[in-house]
Amino acid sequence: MSEEELEVKIEKDEEKHQTEENVNKITSLKSLGPFISARENSKNTIYVSDVPDICKEQPCMLGVDEAGRGPVLGPMVYGISYCPLESKQALIDLGCADSKQLTEEKRDIIFNELNTLDYATECIGWAVEIISPNVISSSMYRRSKCSLNEVSMDSAMGLIQQAIDAGVQIAEVYVDTVGPPEKYQEKLLRRFPNFKITVAKKADSTYPIVSAASICAKVTRDHALKVWKFPEGLVIKDNAFGSGYPGDPVTKRFLVENIDLVFGFPRLVRFSWSTAENALVDKAYEMEFDEPDSEKPKYAGAKLTKFFNKTTKSGEIKREECRFLSQRHLGSVTDF
Amino acid sequence: MSITLDFDAKQLAKSKQLSLHYLPAKIQGDGEANVEKCFNNYTRENPDYGSGILTNSLRGYPLLGQQANVPSGYKGLVLQETEKPLIDTAERQLRLTGQFDEFIYWNYDKVPSNADGYRQALLMTDVAEALMYQPIKQEDLDAEIQRHKESKKENS
Repeated sequence: MSEEELEVKIEKDEEKHQTEENVNKITSLKSLGPFISARENSKNTIYVSDVPDICKEQPCMLGVDEAGRGPVLGPMVYGISYCPLESKQALIDLGCADSKQLTEEKRDIIFNELNTLDYATECIGWAVEIISPNVISSSMYRRSKCSLNEVSMDSAMGLIQQAIDAGVQIAEVYVDTVGPPEKYQEKLLRRFPNFKITVAKKADSTYPIVSAASICAKVTRDHALKVWKFPEGLVIKDNAFGSGYPGDPVTKRFLVENIDLVFGFPRLVRFSWSTAENALVDKAYEMEFDEPDSEKPKYAGAKLTKFFNKTTKSGEIKREECRFLSQRHLGSVTDF
Repeated sequence: MSITLDFDAKQLAKSKQLSLHYLPAKIQGDGEANVEKCFNNYTRENPDYGSGILTNSLRGYPLLGQQANVPSGYKGLVLQETEKPLIDTAERQLRLTGQFDEFIYWNYDKVPSNADGYRQALLMTDVAEALMYQPIKQEDLDAEIQRHKESKKENS
């Protein structure tokens, strides 16, 4: 065996070792993919990093942001990060700034340093929730519809609660929002009355702690897509399904090429997006669900005409189906 | 119109057991479906809803399901017809494709219960039993016809 081959082999062994040992903990950028792919992608996954000791003693700020709200494909990821109020400099040193201004490579580097460099791990903690596209669709299609905003807020509050339960001394909370901030702020204050809560548009670029949360969320979403395995058995080369935004031609092609007549799309796709709904019209079998009981029964007393309407003009008597049978959904079938 | 069920007891005994799903949706299409990979793969037990309650989703719609058995004394059969005749009065032939004793019953975002139309309709088995309790014998039938004829004669 030549030296080169040996090296390759050792590297492979290391990789294998890592996937087997470290699937329960994210210690670097490299361990993020294995952690995600070891979990079911039809369910939500929460990861909470170790809490630095200093965060249990000193008042902390906590940032909340999301990634992947708009795309028709893949999970939406919520992220939080926190550090003591006086450790703000560590965030700036890491380069936590508006995550949309950062390239994917830069975000990956920051995420890696956040988890490996001592000055970062000593004072910064983070957590993410990967909200499965399967869960997003089923929530939005429930009988009592649950909007994406509700799903989002529940996830954000759940993560903050996780941090509290883990012992983080939270003092200030900063949240990035796309919708109207007032309502969101009110809801958060009701749940966490003791924190100073700031909900703002583009908080991502204003507060470094929100940038850090945003980087965690975005890097996690990118990796979740990279390591996505289709339980449907589909294999897509390099998982190249594009950005997931409806305008992306690669995403468009993926949607067109992967329609199942009965089941529609693989569950990487958010069925509840109008892009997905429209793509299925005429391309897959039409499917009708028994819709939610939306129409309320109207009762305005018995109508007088009810005593006459059983006879037709020709004098023929129309008979109503026996109530015993109709209430049990039984009827006679002569044609099938 | 008459319908012929084109199989015998022997074929029935040999026919394969099918695994079926009762879905809360009308599917306007007919054909094969990759049920194993696209659906069964995602069935999970979720005790939050009660013991034995299963979850899954269909085209993004949340489903709650439960294993259901064919009522005792009954057998589930799947019959197929190659082509339905265009004329109503034509004879039809149905072939046996398989049988089942159990299936998974799914509701759209509702835990299966006795309020489900399907369960209520199953009362028909009791009704049928009550109606069919005494099989009508040929001699009873003959006697009844005889009586009918006589009463007609008397009246005329």
